[in-house]
Amino acid sequence: MNSTIDQLKNKRLLWQASQVSGAHKTLSSGFDSLDAYLEGGLPEQGVVDISSPIGIGELRLLLPSFVLRQQNSQKLLVFIGAPARLNAPMLVKMGFELSRILIIEPKNAKEALWSTEQCLKSGCCDGVFLWHQGLEVHQAKRLQFAAETGEALSVVLRQQQPISFSLPVALALELAPCPEGIKVTVTKRKGGSHSQPFTVNMAQAWPSLTRQPKSSNIVPLPRFHSLTG
Amino acid sequence: MQPLWLYLHFPNLQLDSYHTLGPSRARPNEQLEPAQDGLETPVVILDMQHGIVQLNQAARFAGIKPYMSLGTAAALHGGLQVVPFNPEIEKQQLSMIAHRLYMVVCDICFFSEQGLLLRVDNMLRLYGGLLQLWNIIQTQLAPLNVEFSFATGSSPLAAKLLALKKWDHITDDPKLMKQALKQVDLTFTELSQKDITKLNSVGVSTVEQLFAIPFSDLHKRFDTQVITYLGQLRGDFKHPVDFFHPAQRFEQYIELLYEIERSDLLLQPLHKVLSNLENFLLLRDELTQELGITLYQRDKENIEFVVGAQQGEYRAKDWLGLLALKLDNLILNAPIVALQLNVKNTFVRSPDKHDLFLGKQGAISRLQLISLLQAKLGDDALFSPMTVNDYRPERASQYCCALTVNEQNPIYRPPLRPSFLLPEPSLLTQHVSIVHGPERISTGWWDHHPVVRDYFIATSEQGQWIWVFKTPDNKWFLQGIFS
Repeated sequence: MNSTIDQLKNKRLLWQASQVSGAHKTLSSGFDSLDAYLEGGLPEQGVVDISSPIGIGELRLLLPSFVLRQQNSQKLLVFIGAPARLNAPMLVKMGFELSRILIIEPKNAKEALWSTEQCLKSGCCDGVFLWHQGLEVHQAKRLQFAAETGEALSVVLRQQQPISFSLPVALALELAPCPEGIKVTVTKRKGGSHSQPFTVNMAQAWPSLTRQPKSSNIVPLPRFHSLTG
Repeated sequence: MQPLWLYLHFPNLQLDSYHTLGPSRARPNEQLEPAQDGLETPVVILDMQHGIVQLNQAARFAGIKPYMSLGTAAALHGGLQVVPFNPEIEKQQLSMIAHRLYMVVCDICFFSEQGLLLRVDNMLRLYGGLLQLWNIIQTQLAPLNVEFSFATGSSPLAAKLLALKKWDHITDDPKLMKQALKQVDLTFTELSQKDITKLNSVGVSTVEQLFAIPFSDLHKRFDTQVITYLGQLRGDFKHPVDFFHPAQRFEQYIELLYEIERSDLLLQPLHKVLSNLENFLLLRDELTQELGITLYQRDKENIEFVVGAQQGEYRAKDWLGLLALKLDNLILNAPIVALQLNVKNTFVRSPDKHDLFLGKQGAISRLQLISLLQAKLGDDALFSPMTVNDYRPERASQYCCALTVNEQNPIYRPPLRPSFLLPEPSLLTQHVSIVHGPERISTGWWDHHPVVRDYFIATSEQGQWIWVFKTPDNKWFLQGIFS
């Protein structure tokens, strides 16, 4: 019937959206609501582009997934170019094994990218966090390729900067502060579609670092005296 | 066993280093065809003091002879190319040859500026004979296209003398060597001109005649230098030599015979250098990730650049591809007269390992990765986090050398701590609203770093979760960020 389409499919020139979504393996992020929106969780390998201000809970959102990874394998977790010193007690508390964490403080952005690529493709790192402000398309492509070679996941964090073009990454998220957790907008997902912004509630995981929202069904008492007759 | 030395004399080192020339192996009685020769331009190497010191076959054919003055040579051929003599180039060429020979012979000595001395008697058992060894040495030298003369001798100086005389014989028969040595004219020896004249005047003109005179008689008329030389020549005196050990790093400088103005033409001489690098690395089973190239421009600053290959390469072909890309973007301000290749770091090639169950993976191990990163970033760029049993937050978390953490069970498990700590607490300059707190830390009075602080978890107006503290004198500081 549709012989042209079949031919194109056989030659792998045509793909259907339904084929792609199942092809990417994912790993739970540790937050059910995020997993639901991402249809499984963070990608198992590739590059995740995160645009977020510092200190709104971005690491708290992403790290639980890497704790799982560290428990399942003997590989390293690497932090490159972090904006301040990582606090070891916090990492221990989250469940990381410190002997398998590597921190790299490169002198410039170029060295940061180089070391990221080396770590990703080495095959002995599970995840690489890179703080980098202006990732370009070809650099993202190289990192993506390196991550696939070494079967690692790279998270590139940058502070919010509007970029007009879309980076060739597996997943791109925009994060924003929110009292009860963190507000997430999926700007790009391989084999998926955009979504409306949604909130990941962290009240259970981080009770001290969330504020309880004022319920909408609590109406403040009106400030007038009732008529008593 | 009698020591046996082999001396290789390279008369045309600088000339042979120019890639455009390909002189065949030394064949003294070779007749050159004019048609073949017509393609080559006559090239001579000119030394300011001695006149022409090296010349190619084309120049020889034009009638130019060694030690001719430049004027005479120029008169003989109009299109003569003259290159100034550069001892540096000769030195590098000789060292390159020595490196190649080191692969087959262990004891090599830079005996003079144009010659190498090889000790061969201890290699004979390995190769099964002198001729076999000589064949192997010849195969090592053949690709270099250098002209040389050679000779064996029972002492280093005897071998040198015979090689300078172009004896070109390989033998371990002491009689043959002695016979050949005796016929050598005194002018070839290292005796000073004055001594030779003195000897000639009493009728001594060959080594044989000189050897006939007893030492005691010579001693009366000549100084100890002559006696030492003779003793060492005969093999009576011990002649200590320093053997060479190859450098760990690859570095090569070549001067171009023609100035090159187009960057794509540079690939040809570069290919030659890269082939040498390939041999160097292949024999050591090593790879390098970075080549430093220096291009010497005429009357302008040198161009230096670095080419990297993340995977580590040794093949000339691969490096040439990368260099071609790099050269495409290069702007040459002036013609290039020379180029140099430097290789700083090399590492042992690790074979690709495959996990049978995991499929293809990256090839290197954890420690290899660390050394790789350290090689590039320096030693002070890699850390691992470490916890220390201390109440003071800035002491509780420390960076130590990469992957050397001794995980100790913390005695004190602190409550919620931020993920980032500022290097130094900074004065709080923004409006914050306090969410939790206080948590008082009052400690350190015993080691002169007392700390009395009330810690609070707060949020900034931008919604960031931060960690602030208040000192007893009511100053507020920002110390951490809950990312």
